[in-house]
Amino acid sequence: MDDRARQGPIDAKKAWREHIARADRPAPKLSVGLSASFTADTLVPFVGAALLAGDTEAAMTVGPYNQLFQTCLDPEASFGGPCDVIVLLWRLEDFMADEMAGFLAGDGEALKRAGDKLAALAGAICQLRANFKGMVIAGVPPYSTGVAGNLLALDNAGGLGGLHRKIAGEFVEEIGRIEGVHLVDLDAVQRQVGLAASFDSRKAYLYRQPFSDAFLHVAGQQIARIILASRRAAKKCVVLDADNTLWGGIVGEDGIDGIQIGDEFPGSAFRDFHKFLLGLRARGTFLAVASKNNEADVFDVFDKHSGMVLKREHLSAWQINWLPKAENVPLIAKSLNIGTDSLVFIDDNPMEIAYMRDARPEVTSILVPSDPADIVATMQALSLFDQLEITDEDRKRADMMRAERDRESFGAQISHADFLRALDLKVDLFRAKTEDLGRVTQLINKTNQYNLTTIRRTLDEVRALAASPDWRLYAFRVTDKFGEYGLVGVIIIEVSSDNRRWTIDSLMMSCRVLGRGVEQALIGGLTDDARAEGAVEFVGSYIPTAKNAICKSFLPDQGFTQIGEQEWRLDLADAPVVPAHITRLGAPVAEALQLADVAE
Amino acid sequence: MSGRVAKVFSEVLGVDAVRITDDTSPDNTPQWDSMAAMNLVVAIEDEFDVRLSTAEIVSMRTVAVVKKVLATKGVVDA
Repeated sequence: MDDRARQGPIDAKKAWREHIARADRPAPKLSVGLSASFTADTLVPFVGAALLAGDTEAAMTVGPYNQLFQTCLDPEASFGGPCDVIVLLWRLEDFMADEMAGFLAGDGEALKRAGDKLAALAGAICQLRANFKGMVIAGVPPYSTGVAGNLLALDNAGGLGGLHRKIAGEFVEEIGRIEGVHLVDLDAVQRQVGLAASFDSRKAYLYRQPFSDAFLHVAGQQIARIILASRRAAKKCVVLDADNTLWGGIVGEDGIDGIQIGDEFPGSAFRDFHKFLLGLRARGTFLAVASKNNEADVFDVFDKHSGMVLKREHLSAWQINWLPKAENVPLIAKSLNIGTDSLVFIDDNPMEIAYMRDARPEVTSILVPSDPADIVATMQALSLFDQLEITDEDRKRADMMRAERDRESFGAQISHADFLRALDLKVDLFRAKTEDLGRVTQLINKTNQYNLTTIRRTLDEVRALAASPDWRLYAFRVTDKFGEYGLVGVIIIEVSSDNRRWTIDSLMMSCRVLGRGVEQALIGGLTDDARAEGAVEFVGSYIPTAKNAICKSFLPDQGFTQIGEQEWRLDLADAPVVPAHITRLGAPVAEALQLADVAE
Repeated sequence: MSGRVAKVFSEVLGVDAVRITDDTSPDNTPQWDSMAAMNLVVAIEDEFDVRLSTAEIVSMRTVAVVKKVLATKGVVDA
């Protein structure tokens, strides 16, 4: 992990100050607009520095003080130009000061008025979402601080505490109904920092800026995490050492009865780490083991030790032998069809960590803290696994890998042609619907290998594209006799203004379905729709990267001829048909959604 | 000017330490705006391990005053 991610508030401000002062600083990768019910200028260095720590230079702009409605209605005017990300933050005591005072004074109508104001804010945010293409992040209001915020008043539960709970809860619910608005939980940030430590009464009075640097620092990091998570792929697999990482002690020396894993400390700390890992697995991260041990000893623990929460069936891959781990780790990546740069390696031995960082710098290597009590907290602080949208495919992924092993043993028994026929492959190519866009965006941002152009897009960009009459956003699902692969690929087509040319802007699919002829079915399937819309040619390009050599021959294999350095063309008259062993489900354009439905 | 106070001002204001004098103030230093004032408070508190009251913060309109305030808090090597 980058050391900049562990910096304190003073370091963060310094890093930002130095960045701004640099004459040769790189052009910003994105622009962020902050609009708040309080003075937000002091938040700028912390968001900026946390983004820098994630290798993202951002241009930061602050909108006018306490003008959230105006920002929602006319963001460009608020920020003096277009933004990629808009962050909206508010506090009860600024935004609904009168209603709050009324409520605390016993005015029975005050709560209703506060609710009306909240609904108006949610409505404005909804309007912003509809008109603005970029990312929108809204803050859950923190607890009220200062004179009004006596947390330990005897009537707090029904008074200020009750009011905050109601309003914050209602806001989260209202925003939850608007698709594509992210929440940053400033209430949680305040709990993390501590209520008293998050407030600086001197700054509040002198500068209308209520928050301490400690609070702003953590809030800035949270906001940056959300922005970064939308722009980079989460890690896909955790590779774990066994001894003193998954349990205390060394199984080869202490024996299965001598290791520590169970209800008593330190075993309980390792067991909680198991639970953390299972949480990752449930969100689609593979778990693997790389241990220098006898394989039988390690699996004895997994299979027989009653303290183990993590079981053998939770592992998607393992390399348990005496070879260097830097050699074992690529084998794990290969067996899961992922790149070594999407691995996180966790080990308690500083030598192993140092060796891995040296031999495999693309692997993220993390040292287990020496005190087991710190393990879970250390892991929770990592942003490596941050994912904004958890899709059904993510939840099922680790289980789908088991079906994959069945497929492989089936394939070993018969010839490839017979294998393909017997697989009973079905490809469902369809125009992506609103509910598919999360998964579609995920594929766009994480597919490295089978990806013709590797153009990344944010969810907001994908949503805009799905609604545009000039684009066709396709996705496809694949099923075979062993089960569903799920939504595994995306094709993005730009249609020329005369409808005659379909340009393949992007085409990608998960490597899980390679080698089954799915790729042949895609152009055949698209051809039906393209003809129905009056197109006469496909144009596509292959943009080589360090990772996508695997699809280098895709276009020529489908009959495309080269017309430029990276450009290829196919006359629809020569288009391939869907191979005989594949059934194309779903209907061509006749049944496809109308644009209005997609745009919703 | 040398010393820890000059270092703090130089860092926060982005002004060369040699240009920081006892007379440096918001009136002759455009970098010393209200944002910088807030950052100065935090940086001074951090550097000298002191806590400043609002009255002290409001009074700190020159470097000389800052040093005087720090002296009242027992800071001798400012």
